[in-house]
Amino acid sequence: MVRDRLTDWLEELKPAERGVTLVLGFVVLGLLIALITGALGASYFLFLFGLAGMYGLLSLGLNSQWGFSGLINFSVAAFFGIGAYGAALMTGGNSPIAGGFNPIFGLLVAIVLAAVVAVAIGIPTLRLRADYLAIATLGLAEVIRLFMRNERQWTNGSAGIRGIPSFFEGWPILGTFPQTMPDVTVTTGISTITLGTSFWRQLLNVSLLLALLGIVFFVLQRAHSSPWGRVLRTIRSDEDLARGLGKNTFSYKMQAFVLGSVIMAVAGVFYAHLNLFVNPGDLDPITTFYVWVAVILGGSGSNRGALLGGFVVVAIREGSRFVNDFAWFPIDAAPLRLLLIGLLIVLVMRFRPQGVLPPQRELIWPRALSESSQEPASAANRGETNE
Amino acid sequence: MSNHDAVLRVEELRKSFGALVATDDATFEVERGTITGLIGPNGAGKSTLFNLISGFYEPDAGTVLVNGTEVTGKEPYEVAEHGLIRTFQTPRKLEGMTVREAMMVGPRKQPGESFVTLFTDPSGVNEAEKQNLAAVDRLLSEFEISELATQPATDISGGQMKLVELARAMLADPEILLLDEPAAGVNPTLRHSLAEQIRRLNDEGMTILLIEHDMEFVMGLADPVIVLDRGSVLMEGPPDAVQTDDRVIEAYLGGGT
Repeated sequence: MVRDRLTDWLEELKPAERGVTLVLGFVVLGLLIALITGALGASYFLFLFGLAGMYGLLSLGLNSQWGFSGLINFSVAAFFGIGAYGAALMTGGNSPIAGGFNPIFGLLVAIVLAAVVAVAIGIPTLRLRADYLAIATLGLAEVIRLFMRNERQWTNGSAGIRGIPSFFEGWPILGTFPQTMPDVTVTTGISTITLGTSFWRQLLNVSLLLALLGIVFFVLQRAHSSPWGRVLRTIRSDEDLARGLGKNTFSYKMQAFVLGSVIMAVAGVFYAHLNLFVNPGDLDPITTFYVWVAVILGGSGSNRGALLGGFVVVAIREGSRFVNDFAWFPIDAAPLRLLLIGLLIVLVMRFRPQGVLPPQRELIWPRALSESSQEPASAANRGETNE
Repeated sequence: MSNHDAVLRVEELRKSFGALVATDDATFEVERGTITGLIGPNGAGKSTLFNLISGFYEPDAGTVLVNGTEVTGKEPYEVAEHGLIRTFQTPRKLEGMTVREAMMVGPRKQPGESFVTLFTDPSGVNEAEKQNLAAVDRLLSEFEISELATQPATDISGGQMKLVELARAMLADPEILLLDEPAAGVNPTLRHSLAEQIRRLNDEGMTILLIEHDMEFVMGLADPVIVLDRGSVLMEGPPDAVQTDDRVIEAYLGGGT
């Protein structure tokens, strides 16, 4: 029975989805083997997973701007930084402004701050052609980065902010969860793995991340297959057409821009509580570049693609460190990371310009589609679920 | 001032781009229930006039009234709220959408177009989506293009796209429809069915103002016809009168000096 259902499910998938599922299966298998044999430390893996998920969040944010609505935002790192600094300044040990607040307040401040900055940059640029937003955000990214580095009285300058608590600090049970959990020793026959405080701490981080990812993904998925998302996709293809049909395109673009920026800030908040330290280097433009690569690689407009792209970028970025462990590999791969990512994007653009996993199905409110029985005959076998 | 029922009234509308006066005190009315044709030689300012009326350009002077309400200088979506919807000469195809999806953009004020409503009232969104989906199916069959419903919008021909455009504009429930060269680049067979559809919509009570270069198309369809030359209205009248008018022939042939 289970097997039947599995084959049914596999048959429903489009070729691209099947391919990705297969590759993901192998990756998960490989990671499992690495974890069991002790080649990859469990808590380090969770840390990497947290980092990958964070890039997934950033990519989802950019996807709702570029993928949904065609807005070119080169300020990903800046909104990420606003989130990270918002959280750090509210909660950090050596924060020159506030410090010591519950991380929830950091999250709120970050969200509000990101939304305000997004609106401020959107008002003058979103009425203009797409390129003006690109130029303005390019500038904004630098302004925010230099602000964080130079306004020492507010941001601690290049020293950064230390002593950031984990997100659940001060919460009942969860606040002391890593300390109270006993060390667990797992013997697998090949190796013995001890799961201690750091493992539980990372596990808590990853749970937080999965919750954030889940919420954001749910929101974006619903938005994407709704009339709201449809207007955005129309704007992306032809803004004048949307205006001619009586849509207030400025308002829609603003909503998408603010939504994406807030998601990026949430990723920044998570980063602050994952890394427990932020400095102006976290706002380097390279982050923006990585996230753009992730979205284009995954398939612009697709939420799943953006998530996948985020994970792939981190896999290359972090995985290249491990390549050096193999003695037979003749070159040092770590410094070639950027080259590898560049090569990957060239290959994807050459052989699959729409990205690895672009939207696969019609984007009509899924329930309305399945409940409309009087579909035209040709439509019967198309578009069952969203994306 | 005339006392008949005008859906659209344009009074002394003026727009210049630098030294070029594109619209020069244009004044005319579109009476309810008519198909009004707007013709004129190249560069007469037809498209500029459309852009001024629909809110894409802001006029330097003059007024635009839709259903008696002044909409001069308002944003296109505000003009649309008064019942004026326009199409474009060369619409871009909506990438990654099926024809049906592209059509679903048409209806105005869908509850699901508000981000918040998606989460506060999903069943209301669902109801509206179902109704709109049914409306799309109905319109596609009225336009005799049901078979296109689930085809990618990028795969259909230019002529079919014009039909889809027209059908989609109807979903926005306009009182007056501005069509910018609905027959341009369309093969003769489809052109014929486009003309039929426009006539059918008009029979159902839709007021239409259209720009067209194809004289046969416009003369067979529109009454009255407004002739525009160098930004101002040269004359207005039934097609027969326009075709034999010396001033019109002069404007088209003489190139004017």
